[in-house]
Amino acid sequence: MESTLSLAIALVTAPLFPGIILKVKAFMAGKKGPPLLIKYFTLFKLLRKGSVYSESSSFIFPLGPTVSLAAALMALLFFPFCGAAPLVSFHGDVIVLFYLLAMGRFFTVLAALDTASPFEGMGAAREVFFSTLAEVTIFTVLILFYRLNSSLSFAEYFRGESPICLLNTSGALLLFVIVSLFMVLLTENSRVPVDDPATHLELTMIHEVMILDHSGPDLALIELGSFYKLFFYAAFISQLCYPFQPADGPLNSLIFYGLITLIYVTVGITESIMARLKMNSVPQFILTSFALVFFAAILTMGVFQ
Amino acid sequence: MNTFLLALTVLFAAGLFPLLSCRHFTLMKGGYLTLTGAGCLMGLYAILPALQEPLAIRLFAHSWLQLFTLSFQLNSLSAFFLVPIFGICPLAALYSFHYLDDPSHNIRTAVNLFFFNILIISMALVTTADNIISYALVWELMSLSSFFLVMHEYQNEPTRKAGYIYIIFTQVGAMFIFATFALAYSASGSGDFTAFAAIPGSIKLVVFFLALVGFGSKAGIFPLHVWLPHAHPAAPSHISAIMSGVMIKMGIYGILRLYLSLRVTELIYGQTVLSFGIISGILGVVYALGKHDLKKLLAYHSVENIGIILIGMGIGMIGVATDNMVMASFGFAGSLLHILNHSIFKSLLFLGAGAVLQGTGIRHIDQQGGLIKRMPTTGKTFLVGSISISGLPPFNGFVSEFLIYYGAFQGLLLNGSGFIFSMLAILALAIIGGLAAACFSKVVGVVFLGEPRTEAAARASEAGRTMTLPMVILAGACLLIGILPGPFVQMVMVGLSSIPVLSPVGTEAVALLSSKLALAGRLFLGVLLFALLLRKLLYLRKEISRGPTWGCGFTQPSVRIQYTGSSYAMSIIDFFRPFVQIRTRYSGINRIFPDRASYTTRVDDIAETAMVERFVTPLLYLLSKLRWIQHGHIQLYIGYIIVTIIALLLFI
Repeated sequence: MESTLSLAIALVTAPLFPGIILKVKAFMAGKKGPPLLIKYFTLFKLLRKGSVYSESSSFIFPLGPTVSLAAALMALLFFPFCGAAPLVSFHGDVIVLFYLLAMGRFFTVLAALDTASPFEGMGAAREVFFSTLAEVTIFTVLILFYRLNSSLSFAEYFRGESPICLLNTSGALLLFVIVSLFMVLLTENSRVPVDDPATHLELTMIHEVMILDHSGPDLALIELGSFYKLFFYAAFISQLCYPFQPADGPLNSLIFYGLITLIYVTVGITESIMARLKMNSVPQFILTSFALVFFAAILTMGVFQ
Repeated sequence: MNTFLLALTVLFAAGLFPLLSCRHFTLMKGGYLTLTGAGCLMGLYAILPALQEPLAIRLFAHSWLQLFTLSFQLNSLSAFFLVPIFGICPLAALYSFHYLDDPSHNIRTAVNLFFFNILIISMALVTTADNIISYALVWELMSLSSFFLVMHEYQNEPTRKAGYIYIIFTQVGAMFIFATFALAYSASGSGDFTAFAAIPGSIKLVVFFLALVGFGSKAGIFPLHVWLPHAHPAAPSHISAIMSGVMIKMGIYGILRLYLSLRVTELIYGQTVLSFGIISGILGVVYALGKHDLKKLLAYHSVENIGIILIGMGIGMIGVATDNMVMASFGFAGSLLHILNHSIFKSLLFLGAGAVLQGTGIRHIDQQGGLIKRMPTTGKTFLVGSISISGLPPFNGFVSEFLIYYGAFQGLLLNGSGFIFSMLAILALAIIGGLAAACFSKVVGVVFLGEPRTEAAARASEAGRTMTLPMVILAGACLLIGILPGPFVQMVMVGLSSIPVLSPVGTEAVALLSSKLALAGRLFLGVLLFALLLRKLLYLRKEISRGPTWGCGFTQPSVRIQYTGSSYAMSIIDFFRPFVQIRTRYSGINRIFPDRASYTTRVDDIAETAMVERFVTPLLYLLSKLRWIQHGHIQLYIGYIIVTIIALLLFI
């Protein structure tokens, strides 16, 4: 019951948080900014509309939004929100989940290539390259976690005797993980400095340019999927920061959503104070995140010998 | 008579049939197909008991030339390797019905069908050969029959060149295998594989490394893979499917068989195999990204998948060496399952490539496009194959990669080098997975999606019924193993039971995990179905219209502005620069009113260039210095013979 409830809350509130990013950015720029619920308004607006499909596209095109949404939903199904047991879990599920996210990306890319647009092809090429590099960071994180408490599922990471957490022993290593996971969050969710969701020049986009031709409910599904994906990464990082005990009840949710808000605020601040990187220095940015966790993983060799 | 031998006899008869009936083209192909199908079904029936429980059946033992014994034995491991042989080959034969459809080439087609069955028989015998003489004989038979299959279109210059490269590689590889066997024979005094365990340790090392080179050149391990990207594009597509999907696995079988016979438990074996796996895996997929000939690209993906198989095997060997049986079981299980999976999706992809080639007549992917609307069945099945080979759930490629991942994660708890190698294996698998997805989104996107880039691509039409049916069956198998891996994993575990050092601790763990994996796969399909229904619901009574693609303000789009495969892959290849040579030629714009500008890029294989520059060229130079021996005077040649005989008589 508790698991279903926490999942439901997550599913409903996920579109709220990107509004926070917009608010923070507006505040930093000295503007008033859109209302907090802006993303809900956008979703409802899109859902009421019809669609225009490109004459070049085939049956692959509508699969892009649905597969990526399904993959993001799967990630949330396996995730233990504020220490509650997830709905489904087994030893090894993290590998399945990150591969499912890759599956979602595969279909987003195919849908982009389906439109015969040169810009969308360009965005797709960048997306597959950068996400391959980000995947390496993520698997290094999994290697480190396996060294720490030999577990391979979200439930085992964050529940049980010795959860992986900043406040536990060997939490110092997690500082590296949190920083590099934040960098991966920025990469995978197309935020500044890797990609700029607010830019208006198609040549410089990555993710936004891939979905140029989607409209109406299809676009709403894509947006929803990307909110869930961002929420998933934020939840991952916030679980690393605080050990949630199931006994604590409502307090847990408060701290959890507080941490999530903090992460989104940080994203907003990052976007306000940083310019986006040149396209050819993005790989260096992602490899920096890899180097940090790789270093942490190597350190475990000394700790346990 | 044994059912297995009867199946091989039927297959041989099926091979002879076209030679006798080549005047009646359709009758020849029909009769051939029926007999081959029957033979393969009998073969599958014969190996069925060995797939269900571990057992060994002596098939045939006969003394030959008084000196040698030919002996063949079917055990559970060889039965597992026989599944793709008897399962995929009849599908490829079915495909050839419409693929080889030129009645004026009837004799050539008959010869092709004959050698095709010889290849099936010899592969089946390779997996069952029980001593070195029988092994060497059927191995050569396999190499030679596949050589004739590659040479099918011998009137083309590139095909002949590819055939010669293939025969050189396969014969040099065979030389290494014979050296292995000779050394093992002299050290153990017996030609039986079972006697190899008694060889002293240091000789075992040499034996294993010689075999790794010999079998590796057949399997396509990285620096020895040079023949694959030449031979596969030259051979007819169903032959490429069998050579890449099934035949190169015989090299893997050889390595595994020798490893099991030698009973070695040192770390160095696993570490070497794992290192070769990592190199082949990563560089294979990087070169595949750089190639734009559809079949060449698929050939490099074979190198990549052989890498994944070797990574799994290396993890298994390290598990055995460090007495970590769970790690060993998962590593070997993933490796074996990937052999089966790769044989399914790679033959599917090669058959699809053949259909594209026949439909458009174009090899280069940058001249294609939009084929999914013109060839829907080929397009959909090729998409399934692409998802499977990229290792994405819920298809079969993911199941085996997941088992290997799982085994490698077990190895992370080792100390020292075990940890480092396990970590490298995981990172390599992650990179390979990402790059393979990149490569196949390129292929599917450029070849099947978008708009046709040339007239020929726009005129393409769907392939014949017998060509699409095998592809549909193979695509179905990809999904089946993906969502119901249980029985297949069980089959792998039975095969593994012939590994003596593996105690059965891992068995239940593997079975349990595969059931969980199946659950996740089905759950994903459920969620996807939900998302599709939701979308359907949201589109009820909505206005849907069609318009041109948004050109970002550009109003005169043409099909040529589409992103090409070359540009799509360039930034990734550039990232791997020192290991990949990129040659670009750009005419430049240097006048106020520029001429036609041209830009070409080419990705060269460093293994091939190094082999040509460092080995072949010096060798040719050296040999050219000895050319004076050949002068054409017959009396002097007779003189050579006499001098040699006298010298031999005097000194030996």
